[in-house]
Amino acid sequence: MKRMNIKTRTWVLIFGTTITIFVMMNSCAQNKNISAKSGAQLWVENCQKCHNTPSPESFSHEQWITVGMHMQTRAQITDAERDKIVKFLSQ
Amino acid sequence: MESIRGLNRWLFLATVFLSVNIAKAQQPIVDSTLTNRISVLEQQVADQKPGESHFMVVGLATFGYVRNKTTFRPPGGSGQILKTNSFGDAGNYELSPMLLWRHGNNFLIEFEPSFDGSTLEVNWANVSYFAAPGLIIHGGYFVVPFGIYNKKLAAGWMNKLAVDPAGFDLPGTDFGIGLSGTLPLGSMKWTYDISLTNGLQLLSDGQLQNAGTVDNNQGKMVSGRASLLPFSNSSLELGLSGLYNNAGDAGSNFTTAKVSMFGADLNFVKNHNPFLINIKGQYNRLNVTRQNYINQSDSSLYTFNNKTSSLFAQLSIRPVGISNKILKNVELAYRYSNYSTPKNSAWGQNFHENDFGLNYWISWRTVLKFTYAKSHALSTADITAGGIPGITDVNSVYLQFSIEF
Repeated sequence: MKRMNIKTRTWVLIFGTTITIFVMMNSCAQNKNISAKSGAQLWVENCQKCHNTPSPESFSHEQWITVGMHMQTRAQITDAERDKIVKFLSQ
Repeated sequence: MESIRGLNRWLFLATVFLSVNIAKAQQPIVDSTLTNRISVLEQQVADQKPGESHFMVVGLATFGYVRNKTTFRPPGGSGQILKTNSFGDAGNYELSPMLLWRHGNNFLIEFEPSFDGSTLEVNWANVSYFAAPGLIIHGGYFVVPFGIYNKKLAAGWMNKLAVDPAGFDLPGTDFGIGLSGTLPLGSMKWTYDISLTNGLQLLSDGQLQNAGTVDNNQGKMVSGRASLLPFSNSSLELGLSGLYNNAGDAGSNFTTAKVSMFGADLNFVKNHNPFLINIKGQYNRLNVTRQNYINQSDSSLYTFNNKTSSLFAQLSIRPVGISNKILKNVELAYRYSNYSTPKNSAWGQNFHENDFGLNYWISWRTVLKFTYAKSHALSTADITAGGIPGITDVNSVYLQFSIEF
């Protein structure tokens, strides 16, 4: 059987390690106290890291969904946090 | 018999007559005003029905007034003073509408043109694909992930002071692809943001700029930032950034030029009733492997240690928890920034600046800023390379209005 050269093996090792770390990190379950947080609490904690907490009246439900996706690319919040914050702001 | 038949006929006709009239009486009286109103309401409901796609325009506008007093002292010479005052100073005027298209729940397109008072540019134009929880794939023209200032804090309505800290322009915005995401880690969180882009271009005098749409060589720039939020309330974020790039033009004398950059950042925001305390900072260090550069004054070759560092540390306090409606919207801010460019280059200097800010928040996204900035720059440039020796002191007063819409 033809053996992989060192360069190929290095790339396979890097790729495999990255995937393994990603899966391991992803499998670290979120603490129950964190997952039980309300949308209002997450809104305060995450938004004010960069700017003032936005008023729920600022946008409609559809707009908040779009703004939530935009903010996820900037503020790097988790999907669960985004969904809870958008739900709170849409009320 | 004949009379009975006649009676039946009359009874039958009477029954038919009554039935027709009863049926007529049961028909509703149609009011045209009501039907028109119903049609309008039906159309309004149809218009508001959420579709798969959604488009909206947000953005920001910043304008103001700046008054400068610049004092330049050449070695052994007397100070030369220059005073200016203007509206819409180029570095502090911006109108940037941001167009957002959402396609379903997985695609987001972001496009932000920007007018800075003299040119119309594009801040970013990219597509993001929300592939899985904790994984966003993006491509196009985007802010390169490095540190916290450029990507998260530079917008006028978020910036606590009217000016940007010096030395944080690079790596800027670039063309490429990237991955980012945030994942839980027990009671903590961690984030990653990596990209592969065209990268930086090393100029003949040793300075760097973005290569642009067409890369200047075969090598691509790898850059990324990872951060940890160790507390469950996300109050503290600690980030590390790195960047590596072949920056020389293909076929030039700089083909061996490698650029490496390291960064560390901190973001701490906490409510200590009644105050909201906000501490932010970032340190960047940039290194270019030793090269021979072209002296701009006589075209001879010369070299220097091409290292640049920049730092800012910022504190702001706002009494959000007090009942006074005026004072609770007042914020005090301070920032120290330092920027050191390569000694013995044509543009070498040690620069530092102190900024003092007094802000009034008209709404959560509208602010009136008063900033006093005092900077001091000592030239470390090589005179034979075209550098200008001396000390430059600048005192500036800014009155700036910024809104997010």
